[in-house]
Amino acid sequence: MGRILIVDDTLFMRTLLKNILFSGGHDIVGEAGDGDEAITKYKELKPDLVTMDVVMPKVNGIEALKAIKGLDPNARVVMCTAVGQEQMVKLAIKTGARGYIIKPFQAPKVLEEIKNVLGS
Amino acid sequence: MTEVPVKIEKDGKWVVSKIDIQQESMAVGEPVNRQIPFKSIVDLEERKNILVVTQKGEPPQVLRIASVEKVLQALKKVIIMSCSAYRLMAYFMSPAIRGGVMVTNPQWEKGAIAVLKTSIWFVSQNKQVSVPLSDVASIELTKREVQKKQVDVVKIDHLENSEVVTSFILCPISTLQVLFNFLKDATKEMDMAGNELDAVAAQVGMLIYSGMDSHAIENMLNISHKELDAIYENLSKLGLIEVMFIRKEVQLTPKGVRYISDAVKPPSP
Repeated sequence: MGRILIVDDTLFMRTLLKNILFSGGHDIVGEAGDGDEAITKYKELKPDLVTMDVVMPKVNGIEALKAIKGLDPNARVVMCTAVGQEQMVKLAIKTGARGYIIKPFQAPKVLEEIKNVLGS
Repeated sequence: MTEVPVKIEKDGKWVVSKIDIQQESMAVGEPVNRQIPFKSIVDLEERKNILVVTQKGEPPQVLRIASVEKVLQALKKVIIMSCSAYRLMAYFMSPAIRGGVMVTNPQWEKGAIAVLKTSIWFVSQNKQVSVPLSDVASIELTKREVQKKQVDVVKIDHLENSEVVTSFILCPISTLQVLFNFLKDATKEMDMAGNELDAVAAQVGMLIYSGMDSHAIENMLNISHKELDAIYENLSKLGLIEVMFIRKEVQLTPKGVRYISDAVKPPSP
């Protein structure tokens, strides 16, 4: 089970992910509402994994991913975005994302992906 | 040409028989004795290890065939490629996304797409995937990157064992448009305006999609049991949800309180 930081600009999606991850036995160590806050919280909390929304105000998910990988090349980041933005997958994977989930998502599959990434 | 062992449902019982697969038809042997031209087959469904073949007619003739996986695969392939269906050569990727998670290394497969009365079939050298039209959740004409180019594809979401599975079809745009229109028409009873739900009801729908139970939904959206029930009622009327089971909320009777109180008392010395 992992210590997870959830990054998403909507409270609804953060709450949903928190519920799913908590039900899978994970520890939610923090939440961030934009990329800037995500970078600050990553430095502060050193989570095992980050779920990162792609489209966010101020600093977007891809830029935040780059910054976090700059701080910690071994950082495990799972990107999270809406249907129709799948072309972001390549860019995110190239930037160092370990996994990708597409909204809307289903709890068992999210937990499976998180487990895979934590085990990698 | 090729004779395969099968079991056929006849008068409610399974009987041992053989099917001779010929060029343009298949001959079902004793005790069924039926010649079925492939062109007379209008539908093919797969239910676990049973193939349900429907022949046109008034009423349509239905044949249920059971056999080992290898035989069923051979039968499926020949029927799909020769039956009466809207068929096109295409590339397909199925599944590409399962439950919102990208499938590891999904591959484009060269094969055929056949649209039958109740299902779409993807057929390649090694794969036969059936998507019942009644399980199709959405159809979209969209773009996807293939060999560094943005190309038009049809995206199909369908339900498979309560999981949402996404598949992509790639072929020339004119064919794609025909396929898209055909599938849209075949599933038009599911079309909605998109403004039927208010914000909270839409969030409830999203939480159900994600697998949250009623208790979690009430807590997450800070709504009462009665409010959630009213939203469920509306979603149900719109045909968006179905009741799986009704869970009881209970409280202890005085007898129950007494029993539990006694049960937790320390044993008397």
